[in-house]
Amino acid sequence: MKQKSGKYLVFPTIIWLSFFFIIPLLIVIAVSFASRTPYGQVIFNFQLGNYARFLEPLYLRIFIDTIFVAVVTTVLTFVMGYPLAYTIAKLPKKWQQPGLILVMAPFWINFLIRSYAWVIILRTQGVLNTILLKLGLIQQPLALLYNDAAVLLGMVYALLPFMVLPIYVAIEQLDTRLLEAASDLGAKPFTAFRKITLPLTMPGVAAGSILVFISSLGMFVVPDVMGGAKSALVGNLIQNQFLSARDWPFGSALSIILAILSLVLIILYYKVLQAKEGGASDAQKLA
Amino acid sequence: MKKIVSLALSLLLGSTLLLAGCGGSSGGKANTQPQTLNLFSWADNFDPEVLAEFEKKYNCKINYDVFANNEELLAKIQAGGARYDIIQPSDYMVGTMIKLDLLEKLNKKNIPNLTNLNTSLQAPAYDPTGDYSSIYTWGVTGIAYNKKYVKVAPTSWEDLWNEEYKGRVILLNDNREIIGMALKKDGFSNNATDPRQLAKAVDDLKELAPLVMAYDTDTIKQKFIAEEAWIGTMWSGDASFAYKDNKNIGFVVPKEGTTIWADTFAIPRGTKNKELAEKFINFMYEPKVSAKNYEYIGYNDPNEKAKQYHSEAFNNDPMLKIGAAHIDKGEWLIDIGEAITAYDKAWTELKTIK
Repeated sequence: MKQKSGKYLVFPTIIWLSFFFIIPLLIVIAVSFASRTPYGQVIFNFQLGNYARFLEPLYLRIFIDTIFVAVVTTVLTFVMGYPLAYTIAKLPKKWQQPGLILVMAPFWINFLIRSYAWVIILRTQGVLNTILLKLGLIQQPLALLYNDAAVLLGMVYALLPFMVLPIYVAIEQLDTRLLEAASDLGAKPFTAFRKITLPLTMPGVAAGSILVFISSLGMFVVPDVMGGAKSALVGNLIQNQFLSARDWPFGSALSIILAILSLVLIILYYKVLQAKEGGASDAQKLA
Repeated sequence: MKKIVSLALSLLLGSTLLLAGCGGSSGGKANTQPQTLNLFSWADNFDPEVLAEFEKKYNCKINYDVFANNEELLAKIQAGGARYDIIQPSDYMVGTMIKLDLLEKLNKKNIPNLTNLNTSLQAPAYDPTGDYSSIYTWGVTGIAYNKKYVKVAPTSWEDLWNEEYKGRVILLNDNREIIGMALKKDGFSNNATDPRQLAKAVDDLKELAPLVMAYDTDTIKQKFIAEEAWIGTMWSGDASFAYKDNKNIGFVVPKEGTTIWADTFAIPRGTKNKELAEKFINFMYEPKVSAKNYEYIGYNDPNEKAKQYHSEAFNNDPMLKIGAAHIDKGEWLIDIGEAITAYDKAWTELKTIK
């Protein structure tokens, strides 16, 4: 009896997902094979032209640029996020929660507003330039905004929490007895970190990297606001298709390609994770 | 936790009840049941006091919804789910909507005040007979510049192509505006669809791209006010706004001519309140009403009969004057049909230049 009624609890979720995820997704897939009139009306006549257009050098290059930016963002968030997560995980228990809350705190403010806050800090007459000029460290204001570095800064800033949280969980769950054993056997702290902590927290790093990488693939606010809309990333390209270009079919095809790319990465992640887990249990057997 | 949930639930219930109550009250007083005018427009596009006056005068209720761009408006009207009585498409979108048969013809008998409009604005290229739309706000695109950094006032679009301003040039983030600007510079129409003319304009823009600081439409004013940008393309209305905060900002309309734009009043097909909508348009063109309204929104008043009711400051606003003086130099953007694909591709290409 209990089991039966339990099943019904899933219904709202299923209905929700089918209405707001599955049906829209199917519509996007259908539109991606359609064509359009000059006025942007979608005509359903099955064709592959939208996907063929993606292969033009111009659009391929935008995809490659986007992937490059996403890779650099992922690496930078890792380099900054790991030490942060490690520090928080090693804090006394009562300080860990506040530490995590501080990492999450920026999410309480709308992302667009935070991007404009960066503009106010970095622009020519902005906070940073004014301070540096007043201190006499620079004579001319620096051009800190509207370049690739500013886009990367915005991306790393926005996505850092996605890297920190999974790594924190991985470090937090780490069996400290392994480190004690290593120290007993004469390993220096850094060796212990390199041979034990880092490899065993890799699943956290991988999870964080996937989250950051996929999120940065779809970013369009940061390049617009902090990059001065100068660099076209896939997110911006898709946005344009739905607005000024009035080409929903091409925009849909680009979205589907982006979704497939993300899906492939997630599958790869699970494959690697499974292999790792297999490897780990082998190691345990050996031990 | 339970308490929080029940509190949230009761709040939700409460708010739906309130909403229901609101809808019901108008139905309750059957005799004086006020009509509702559903207005779909840009944000902050009217003086709220003027809207309240209309509500009082015609015993109706204005329901003011906003859209952020023309494409959003088009999508909503095409979807048909939302019923509006008055919409405010921009120039080229009026053309598109006429072609898609989405607009009602205006009954000019109900809008006698239409004749108050500046004659240059009565038969625009996108709606040559003026049967489907009437102009509400309008302006021209020009060059804004900061006199501190740009010593010689620009006279030509060519003046943007100047190495001295590298990293300080700002362009509207809008492919029709900017490609149209380059076309004008080269002496073509800003609606050109000839691939050779387009290619020439795009090649010129590729040379300009390395000098560009940013492409921006929404916050271009702030970039000029904060003196990040020294020179760039700007709409006259925005220039007037920016000038109020930074008196170093100048504005010129280049000699090659420029783009003129307008947001209009139009009535979508299938409205149930066509007559009330026409009364609304007529009301907005009452000289006294429009004087009050345009003082508030800060755009050029297209109403010739309103001049005497405007303040000294409004009539002498230097930016608005420049716009008004060049009303005949502007060419309307019209729908270019299939060529929009070529524009979009050229635009994407420009964005990939480092």
